[in-house]
Amino acid sequence: MILRPTREDWKLIGWGIGRVILAIGLLMLVPLAIALISTEWNTVLNFLVGIFACVTFWLVMENTCYVKRDLSWFHGLIVASLGWLVAMAFGAIPHFLSGHFKSYLDACFDLMSGYTTTGLFLLQDLDHVAHGTNMWRHLLTYAGGQGIIVIALTFLFAGTAGAFKIYASEGKDEQLLPNVIRTARAIWMISLTYLVVGSLFLWFGLMKDGMPVGRGLLHSVWLFMGAWSTGGFAPQSLNLLYYHSLLIEMITMIIFVIGSFNFALHYTVWTGNRREIYRNIETRSFAITALVGTFMLSIGFSKVGLYTSLTEFFRKGFYNLVSGHTTTGNSTVYATSFFKEFGFIALWAITLVMAIGASACSTGGGFKGLRMGIITKSLWGDIKSIVSPESAVVREKIHHVKDVWLDDALVKGAMLIVISYVVIYAVGGLLGTIYGYSPSVAFFDSVSAGSNTGLSAGLTTPLMPALLKVYYIFEMWAGRLEFMSVFALVGMGIAVVRGKRSGRR
Amino acid sequence: MRKTRIPICISAMTVLVALISLAFLFPGNARADDRVSIVDLIENMKKYNGEVVTIEGEAIGDIMVRGDYAWITVNDDAYSRKSLEEGGEFVGMSNAGIGVWLPKGDTETIGILGGYKNKGARVSVTGVFNRACHEHGGDTDIHAQRIGLVGKGYRFDHPLAYGQLFAAIALAAACAFLWNVRRNRMKKTVRGE
Repeated sequence: MILRPTREDWKLIGWGIGRVILAIGLLMLVPLAIALISTEWNTVLNFLVGIFACVTFWLVMENTCYVKRDLSWFHGLIVASLGWLVAMAFGAIPHFLSGHFKSYLDACFDLMSGYTTTGLFLLQDLDHVAHGTNMWRHLLTYAGGQGIIVIALTFLFAGTAGAFKIYASEGKDEQLLPNVIRTARAIWMISLTYLVVGSLFLWFGLMKDGMPVGRGLLHSVWLFMGAWSTGGFAPQSLNLLYYHSLLIEMITMIIFVIGSFNFALHYTVWTGNRREIYRNIETRSFAITALVGTFMLSIGFSKVGLYTSLTEFFRKGFYNLVSGHTTTGNSTVYATSFFKEFGFIALWAITLVMAIGASACSTGGGFKGLRMGIITKSLWGDIKSIVSPESAVVREKIHHVKDVWLDDALVKGAMLIVISYVVIYAVGGLLGTIYGYSPSVAFFDSVSAGSNTGLSAGLTTPLMPALLKVYYIFEMWAGRLEFMSVFALVGMGIAVVRGKRSGRR
Repeated sequence: MRKTRIPICISAMTVLVALISLAFLFPGNARADDRVSIVDLIENMKKYNGEVVTIEGEAIGDIMVRGDYAWITVNDDAYSRKSLEEGGEFVGMSNAGIGVWLPKGDTETIGILGGYKNKGARVSVTGVFNRACHEHGGDTDIHAQRIGLVGKGYRFDHPLAYGQLFAAIALAAACAFLWNVRRNRMKKTVRGE
């Protein structure tokens, strides 16, 4: 029997979302500080409006939705899925006020792209944007990489037993420490340590390559945030091509590869178990699929004959392939080059690895290496059972931090998510084709949005049809939350319409 | 015979002088024919690869010095003429720019670079376009042979956004009111009312 949500359920959800929005308001203090230091007074006002709007919403929710109950799984799922959408609407306020977006929908598109670490953008005239606005773009992708629910958990949900429910609802089922609040803080500790170290490396690299000290520092932090979160944002419209630097490309590549690894893997390695890197199913899966992609890329490039040296293959081919595979989206070529210069095989090599994506419980998107590993192992088990005697019991296991035996429920769950990804990729690709874009371009950009990658073959511009913008927002959101929270939201819709009243008040 | 020759010579000379005068009157149109837009270069890389081209646009961002040479970025989109910060119109695209590799000494003419507070110097660059430059790891770039300053850069002020100021004050007042309501509610909860 489906129960209709009660008024208390709605209040709990509203209370939870209020806390998530407060976290967004607190995050805006960072770009506010940068705008103040840079004496960008209108940008300061934009962020003040954003912060006060978030705090107002939180206080309204606190005053109207306070109940003495803890969150259940259902509430957690709804808070995560709706929280992201409401956070998009509030986070877009300073973006829209910056005057660089034609419509509020465009500003929301960039916000969702940032939170979900996708990296596609509709902002116009990026090269004349304020430092404060640029800091917001990069900070929200950095924060979104850890998960905006994780941010809220770190500071604002202390002491609630239902915290794990909304944590897991954000597509993270790894608990590094027994307490979920401590897990959220551990994720932040890992990310902040890398932020300091990675930014320093980039800063020295940029100064060596001729950037001034002050702007070099800002660019290094922004580039780190874009790469680590696998968001792929960069402060200039030419993205990584702006720097013309092998050194910067190598450092960012190391950062986004590390950033694409599972947080549980990071924690295991940090606590001394270095062998886990080689044994883990996700790193093995990533290595195999990256190798296959590189092989396809080399065939494609050999046919085109444009990039003739190993350095060129690395900087223009391999870099963009790995950027796509880790669902980062940092790019060293023009968007149109993927379609016009790379050739059919290389273009589809990148599309394929984008679709597969990075690790589960990481900043990346896509099917995820863990699911590819589970499905491949399961298929291998089926083949073995066919060729084995009838009485033989064939069981397969994977190694992900610890050994896990495969069962039907695990394989079915992985298959359901992979099929869901394929469906949203395909619908987006078909929609783009119907609008008159080339199928290769339409599928490339659709896979890029759904896998939260951010590379574009030229379709994603402010002039693209509004329906495609809305669909891409949905793709980015559903892909980042790995569908479970989205299914819950659909379930809630059904419960509201067809559910029966429960006895409790 | 002599009587007819003189007027023909005079007419021919007049037409010639008029044509030369026209060329001086509209120099921009004549030069525009030689220039290539960056979008055209990017969309037709094969066609322009290895050719000497001339672009004209705003120098933006940074000058990155590498030994005796340097990288600059030149944008020639609509925002390079009037950015959104200066009150330019939306054109439905981001920027169109390209990296230019030039001798370090040539960067001294540039001065101010484009950004949030600055209108960058307008430069004209003539050089070899490379679809995939073998000297620079496959980058798409222009190796400058000649660079000229078309217009100096300058700083500009942003008029205060009063709409945002009023909104911030109104929302701050709402926050103060709601905070007070929350505090009273919490006091009542503590007292057990």
